[in-house]
Amino acid sequence: MGMNLGIDFSSLLQWNDFTVDLAAFAVKFAILVGGLLQLPPLLVWIERRVPALMQRRRGPNRVGIFKWRLYGLLQSLADTVKLIFKEEVVPDGAHKVFYHLAPVFCVFPAFLVACAIPYGPDLAIYGYKIPLSVVRMDVGFLFIFAISSLAVYGVALAGWASNNKYSLMGSLRASAQMISYEIPLGMSLIPIVLIYGTLDLGKIVEAQNSFFQWGVFTAPVSLLIFVICMFAETNRAPFDLAEAEGELVAGFHTEYNSAKFAAFFLGEYVSMFVLSCLASTVFFGGWQVPFVSYDALVTMLGSPNFVAPIGILMLLLKAAFFMWVYIWVRWTLPRFRYDQLMSLGWKFMLPIGLANVVVTAIVLAVLRFK
Amino acid sequence: MEALYFVPEMLFYVISGLILLSSIMVVAARNPVTSAIFLVVDLFFVAALYAQLDAHFTAAIQVLVYAGAIVVLFVFVIMILNLKPDALRGIRFSLGEALVLLITLAGFVIVGSELARTAPDLTTPGNLGSAAIEMAGGNTYVVAMRMFTAFLWPFEMASVLILLAIVACVMIAKKDKRVTKS
Amino acid sequence: MIPVENYFVLSSLVFLCGLAGVMFRRNLIMVLMSIELMLNAVNIIFVAASRHLAQVDGQIMVLFVITVAACEAAVGLAMVIALFRRYGTVNTEFLRLLRG
Repeated sequence: MGMNLGIDFSSLLQWNDFTVDLAAFAVKFAILVGGLLQLPPLLVWIERRVPALMQRRRGPNRVGIFKWRLYGLLQSLADTVKLIFKEEVVPDGAHKVFYHLAPVFCVFPAFLVACAIPYGPDLAIYGYKIPLSVVRMDVGFLFIFAISSLAVYGVALAGWASNNKYSLMGSLRASAQMISYEIPLGMSLIPIVLIYGTLDLGKIVEAQNSFFQWGVFTAPVSLLIFVICMFAETNRAPFDLAEAEGELVAGFHTEYNSAKFAAFFLGEYVSMFVLSCLASTVFFGGWQVPFVSYDALVTMLGSPNFVAPIGILMLLLKAAFFMWVYIWVRWTLPRFRYDQLMSLGWKFMLPIGLANVVVTAIVLAVLRFK
Repeated sequence: MEALYFVPEMLFYVISGLILLSSIMVVAARNPVTSAIFLVVDLFFVAALYAQLDAHFTAAIQVLVYAGAIVVLFVFVIMILNLKPDALRGIRFSLGEALVLLITLAGFVIVGSELARTAPDLTTPGNLGSAAIEMAGGNTYVVAMRMFTAFLWPFEMASVLILLAIVACVMIAKKDKRVTKS
Repeated sequence: MIPVENYFVLSSLVFLCGLAGVMFRRNLIMVLMSIELMLNAVNIIFVAASRHLAQVDGQIMVLFVITVAACEAAVGLAMVIALFRRYGTVNTEFLRLLRG
């Protein structure tokens, strides 16, 4: 036999629950990160072409390889290359450490939150059950809110560290807005937790097995609040006061350029995608196929492994719908005034959210009373 | 299988080291914003410690409330007041202060050694291990069942406390018109 | 399995950090942050003990401590803002009106 090195490497490579979990985690995480990095260029392209269609213009359509222009799809690639290779200018008097750290604080929570979304039904490979979310935990719901509440630091630090009054004002606006709308956002999901009785996102999707058990039917008011807060939470129009171009130059990332500016873009688009996924998971049945139950699909196709791609496709379609809503709303509604934004959040969304929780609780108590 | 048993223990020491390092940085950093960011890091790793102890709900609440709300308040106030970094030189060690630190340290040593001596059974995992919790319906379920039965009154009182704090904050931080006029 | 004493040592060290901060820092906001650190040290012990005594009460206590910490931070910071408006400083060495 071979040399004895004193360490039994074969024991490290035995397949047991722990090593399978670890390997599956690594593979899923790599795929997720790789996929999410492709999002911003695609979304930027859509965000330029869609308003062009709406406003009867052409939008970017020049960049291409030789004569293939692909409807300007390569414009995003060109922009990315430009952003990454641009010279980086750090403003004088900036707090160096936090200036460089702020984009990380923006991107990191967005990617972490994406780990908790269940993208499809469980896979069964060689007798091991592998859930199609990077980490599956019994408090997935709270995890998402906890981690996404950390994104505020990226915004606050970016504005403070760049030593610019427009940046600071933009960051104070943005972070105040994010904190204010986090409360109704969380409030809108409490009825869902009450109805399905779990904080595990995977179980919530499994509970929406039949079409009329989808969250959109069981908690319609929640959907309304959630969608409105979704826009505010990601600082998107009509709540994009943080980067109101006419007033604040560009908000908290005024002083950022090149790759760090691209990092803010990445964070914004990933968190848009995650919130869209969350909305479809909670209100539109996640990876469930409408009108066909999971068990019926498994018997039809023969194996849960064949259902998984369909599930992923369904979730991505539903998420794509919400992304479309994001862009659609942006080019339809004008921007709010800041006091209007705050009073909408605190005086309308919060009371409606509270009333929604109370009414849902009472109805559930009456329905489940024996 | 046996080869991987050291992983949780290693994780504990790594996390504790990071907690200690960040707590020292919280206290020692000159710039208040640096302190606040290290406080966030500290709270995050403490939450990781909770998660390792199978207290998932508490871990999530820790990050959500502590790191996501309380420290944001600190950061806001520091930014609004535009505080300059402290001068750390002017610190004087008075005899009384040194005595307080020593007595606290001595107290910890006494209590800790007493704990280590009189509680021989503490190293065995209790019924709150991950398997037992899975059986009982998950950590959140277990916490909720206890919270809304035995701790119902404290829970309600906590909400009253929060209401009081809100009113107090508004009253204290409101601009006092009489002062600004004179 | 990690013995509960390790958590105790960790907690007491974090607590000492917080105590030192309260005693030696002259910035009111820093003092408040050090208090948060001390509360947090206590929480570590609560959760570790709850795990090892197989009682969930410790975790519930942590939730109450977090509530109290939130209230304390909010009221404390409101007072800091009021003081800053009045005296233009948050340095504890200059805020000695009660010392006569």
